[in-house]
Amino acid sequence: MISQFFVLSQRGDNIVFRDYRGEVQKGSAEIFFRKVKFWEDGDLQEAPPVFNVDGVNYFHVKVVGLLFVATTRVNVSPSLVLELLQRIARVIKDYLGILNEDSLRKNFVLVYELLDEVIDFGYVQTTSTEMLKAYVFNEPLVVDAARLSPLGPGSIFTQGTKRMPGIAVTKSVVATEPGGRRREEIFVDIIEKISITFSSSGYILTSEIDGTIQMKSYLSGNPEIRLALNEDLSIGRNVGAAYGYRSSSGSGTVVLDDCNFHESVRLDSFDIDRTLSLIPPDGEFPVMNYRMTQEFRPPFRINALIEEAGSLKTLHYIRVSFELEPGAVGQTTDFKEANKRLEWSLKKIVGGSEHTLRAKLTFAQESHVNVTKESGPVSVTFTIPMYNASRLQFSILSRCPVCTAVSITQLTLNVVKYLQIAKKSATHEPYRWVRYVTQANSYVARI
Amino acid sequence: MSRNDSKYFSTTKKGEIPELKEELNSQYKDKRKDAVKKVIAAMTVGKDVSSLFTDVVNCMQTENLELKKLVYLYLINYAKSQPDLAILAVNTFVKDSQDPNPLIRALAVRTMGCIRVDKITEYLCDPLQRCLKDDDPYVRKTAAICVAKLYDINAELVEDRGFLESLKDLISDNNPMVVANAVAALAEIQENNSRPIFEISSHTLSKLLTALNECTEWGQVFILDALSRYKAADAREAENIVERVTPRLQHANCAVVLSAVKMILLQMELITSTDVVRNLCKKMAPPLVTLLSAEPEIQYVALRNINLIVQRRPTILAHEIKVFFCKYNDPIYVKMEKLEIMIKLASDRNIDQVLLEFKEYATEVDVDFVRKAVRAIGRCAIKLERAAERCISVLLELIKIKVNYVVQEAIIVIKDIFRRYPNTYESIIATLCESLDTLDEPEAKASMIWIIGEYAERIDNADELLESFLESFPEEPAQVQLQLLTATVKLFLKKPTEGPQQMIQVVLNNATVETDNPDLRDRAYIYWRLLSTDPEAAKDVVLAEKPVITDDSNQLEPSLLDELLANIATLSSVYHKPPDVFVTRVLSSAQRTEDEDYVEGSETGFSDANPANGPASPPTGRQLAPASATGAPATPPSVAPLPDLLGDLMGMDNSIVPVDQPATPSGPPLHILLPASTGQGLQISAQLTRQDGQIFYSLLFENNSQVTLDGFMIQFNKNTFGLAAAGPLQVPQLQPGTSARTHLPMVTFQNMSQGPPSSLLQVAVKNNQQPVWYFNDKFSLHVFFTEDGRMERSSFLETWRSLPDSNEVSKDFPAIVIGSADATLERLAASNMFFIAKRKNANQDVFYFSSKLPKGVPFLIELTTVIGNPGVKCAIKSPSPEMSSLFFEAIETLLMG
Repeated sequence: MISQFFVLSQRGDNIVFRDYRGEVQKGSAEIFFRKVKFWEDGDLQEAPPVFNVDGVNYFHVKVVGLLFVATTRVNVSPSLVLELLQRIARVIKDYLGILNEDSLRKNFVLVYELLDEVIDFGYVQTTSTEMLKAYVFNEPLVVDAARLSPLGPGSIFTQGTKRMPGIAVTKSVVATEPGGRRREEIFVDIIEKISITFSSSGYILTSEIDGTIQMKSYLSGNPEIRLALNEDLSIGRNVGAAYGYRSSSGSGTVVLDDCNFHESVRLDSFDIDRTLSLIPPDGEFPVMNYRMTQEFRPPFRINALIEEAGSLKTLHYIRVSFELEPGAVGQTTDFKEANKRLEWSLKKIVGGSEHTLRAKLTFAQESHVNVTKESGPVSVTFTIPMYNASRLQFSILSRCPVCTAVSITQLTLNVVKYLQIAKKSATHEPYRWVRYVTQANSYVARI
Repeated sequence: MSRNDSKYFSTTKKGEIPELKEELNSQYKDKRKDAVKKVIAAMTVGKDVSSLFTDVVNCMQTENLELKKLVYLYLINYAKSQPDLAILAVNTFVKDSQDPNPLIRALAVRTMGCIRVDKITEYLCDPLQRCLKDDDPYVRKTAAICVAKLYDINAELVEDRGFLESLKDLISDNNPMVVANAVAALAEIQENNSRPIFEISSHTLSKLLTALNECTEWGQVFILDALSRYKAADAREAENIVERVTPRLQHANCAVVLSAVKMILLQMELITSTDVVRNLCKKMAPPLVTLLSAEPEIQYVALRNINLIVQRRPTILAHEIKVFFCKYNDPIYVKMEKLEIMIKLASDRNIDQVLLEFKEYATEVDVDFVRKAVRAIGRCAIKLERAAERCISVLLELIKIKVNYVVQEAIIVIKDIFRRYPNTYESIIATLCESLDTLDEPEAKASMIWIIGEYAERIDNADELLESFLESFPEEPAQVQLQLLTATVKLFLKKPTEGPQQMIQVVLNNATVETDNPDLRDRAYIYWRLLSTDPEAAKDVVLAEKPVITDDSNQLEPSLLDELLANIATLSSVYHKPPDVFVTRVLSSAQRTEDEDYVEGSETGFSDANPANGPASPPTGRQLAPASATGAPATPPSVAPLPDLLGDLMGMDNSIVPVDQPATPSGPPLHILLPASTGQGLQISAQLTRQDGQIFYSLLFENNSQVTLDGFMIQFNKNTFGLAAAGPLQVPQLQPGTSARTHLPMVTFQNMSQGPPSSLLQVAVKNNQQPVWYFNDKFSLHVFFTEDGRMERSSFLETWRSLPDSNEVSKDFPAIVIGSADATLERLAASNMFFIAKRKNANQDVFYFSSKLPKGVPFLIELTTVIGNPGVKCAIKSPSPEMSSLFFEAIETLLMG
């Protein structure tokens, strides 16, 4: 169980502080902040998420620039505490629509009310927005979303697409909208994060997809939802294959290494037809997390070449080939002296195109160092809307009032097969927003 | 309804409290609610709003849940400081606990349990009893936690009122939330109790396993953690348990997954069927790996746990090494843990892949990560004999990049590789020597020197290489000096030619005469005696075959590993320390002094830790070198013909050994307070002293002026202890060039100053010829320590316990070394600090002393130190903690001698 919970701003100001057991001194927030700020211990220059100072254990996670912290004196489950901190952040975001210092301060009474229901005497009671609604009475005061630059996973909705109303994800789950009536809608994101390491000769050394089906429901009356995944989906990679290299069995099947589900998900017919059924609780939650190391076609290939021209100059070529998507290009390059990094940003990239950057670096001092060997890897970060590398399917069969969702399915290779909302007497068809987003996690080409 | 809560933070104008008071008593509900919000806002930013207690409590009787909750929040915060007023709230609490609305009933019980005021606790019992049997599950689950709250305040009350039984009944409740809270409460109560309270029978086990399926994710963790204490009767029961727990591995909540893993690992110890075990390992691997897709914070916890798991069951993740490859954007704390696990999973099969990774990491930007990667290559070489050569070639490639810290790190690990595979890879020494000049880190330098010494006979210019280091010998860090010493001796023994002979003379001279480092000096003397008495023995000792080192990547002791594995999914498994090392909840300082090994001082023999004090018999090399593998019988030192230079050194022997005899101080030196330069030729030195229970001001007047001075008078400004002269100052007429010393008796508590204690003593001295001289003196608190300060052990303990913990103050003196306990005790006793007892705590000695200030104010003192090592911790407890800073000043002076 935990002793205290608090939220600190980046400058170390107390935004929220709740003591549940009175066994840790009041100055703990300051002790914590100083320790994290000036961390130095052995090999690490960055504080690990769990540490002990004078018998007090501090846990922290960073959420949108804020530090969510818990303290305890006993030998608790650290994953429970860290997971709890993430969940508290999520619950608060569900309630406030937007999570930041401003919205927390504006709603501190509501936040304290939430915290009292989420934790009692240090023991987690519930982190379900749905359940909390029965016990929490303060109304959120929604901060103006338009003023804010998007933060966190919600930001993907506002990036370069007019299809999705950006306000939607920053909308409180509980607050009634100005019109008085709430819009019936449900958001489903299939977010896939790709990690790939290319060797210097262009081979794929490791590749992995971490996927999440994220849902945020604003549906009233808690209708049941059925999600159908690819029928050829199989779970559990053949471990027998030596070295962990995948056996190139069945070409069409999607093989997940592992997956797990939200507790509201019922898997009664999952084994038969790969459908999940659930009654989505209020708030944002992951329906399913999955992990895949099966071979897939990487969205980009990167070739980097370094040529040493004399002792002071080095030529640096990076060629990136893209195999996707229409769009326009707007590029900038910049050498960041502080971290000795050459940055090249491309606003948009046309599918099937190839781009080359030739950079000439001249060093101030002559060095006998082997530049090629000292050059770090090329790392790429990107977001591809409407692309789904794993080919995990998720399609919508029922009549869909918003045609964008349909066009998504056409663009994407294939998708989750359908999202069915069982609604008995619907005057309005609920709005369904489905998005596929692929992001780089660690997308690296070695030199 | 307000539109913006943050406005409550902005009231900063004067008269805030009276204004709030008025608003709290407003006749309008909304205004009152707003006012309470403002109070809470003030409270959270740390302002003291306790004076509004009565007014806030008056707002408590309301049907508005929102307002009620706010008032309760306030109450929890301030009830402790206003216990008499808190009682005002009791009636409302009791009434609320019977409200028809279950939310209000639960709220009342929940809040009452948080108010740790005895008077309120008394009234809590009846409502709690009712609520434990309430119809509404929300009330019952709140009541279950409340029992744990009450137990924390008054355990006896909980047992007398039979709440433990009610709690156990709730385990069979039909609502899983209630079950989970009951389990959590019972587990906590058991944790703080040595008696069995919450024993899990096979009956409870099956009930809880059933509840597991219906619980919330958090309840599942409570139950799994409680069940992990259950010892299955046999393999079959263990298999049954595992079967029920395995589905939890599929949960999206990482805490559930890790707690399930813990449960399965514990039961696996009992399962005999290898098929079942293999199958379980197969099932556990994917969820464990999936934890690495979570947030980095969770990844860190998972990695620390996996580190332990693979030490016991390496097969679980044997094929998964790729998932531990570092990602470019992993935080450094994740990368470091991944490296550790990669080393643990490295095998002959995957070493090529692993080396490729390490090599890549060694060219990254983060210096600490790079170093660790280089070290990892070395550790793999030591672990995998067949891969050692490949590891070395990677290291050599890295050395060739000539990045300084990479080279240094590589040399450090190569030294270890040489120790693991002696006489195998010396061919690379030449390459290493190329980097000799660039080494600037002590460990790398020391490693390189070790290599040169160890292989001196195969390095043609070993003597030149070593000699290049010798010039800077005195400036080198101790680590390097020690290696230089040993390497030079090795060189001399291997190549007893003229060059090395000269070198050894220089080194031994430096290491004995020129150094303050006892380790270096001792080692030098040992070599010296060895060389001078029996060079053959010296060879046996110094050039003995070293025991082959082993891989340290599984460095946890089996017993510790067992304990940590039993604590998987707890903090213990993250710190890799047993829980009792860092859990300090129940320990208070009062209990510490009651330890069994508390020994009367008079019975304790102190061993003097300063080796320089008693070189009674020069030890022979053989006694000192148990590592010597030859095991030849100890031959009497046959004095072999020695080079003259050693004979010369021998002659110096006795005169060099420094004898650290503490010089007895010849009376306290006086401090110059008024230098002649400012006193127009008059110099005054003085110091406050204590003799035979009387305080004196010792003064020395020196007349360096051209005139005769007479008519001296003295006056003291108000001071903390009210020191004043007990009589007139007796100083004779002072001719130019003469001086006079006087002891002025002092009295205390005459003209006391107000304000915080200070050791400042302001003195004014006048004579007939000069203006009045003002000067400041600083006294040391110990002159006030009375002769009757000795306490009996029992009364010491009693006093210690009777004083609140807040009166305990401690301070570290990192630079102070207590060389000899006896001498220190004597010195402290001379200043009326009386030794009570001593005990050992790990390698530290803890001493207890008592002293008294006038008017019988006791000081209880605890000194913790490792004799002979720098660092003294002083903790004191007294009724006057405000005196502590003065006390620390005094003890510092006393300990410094």
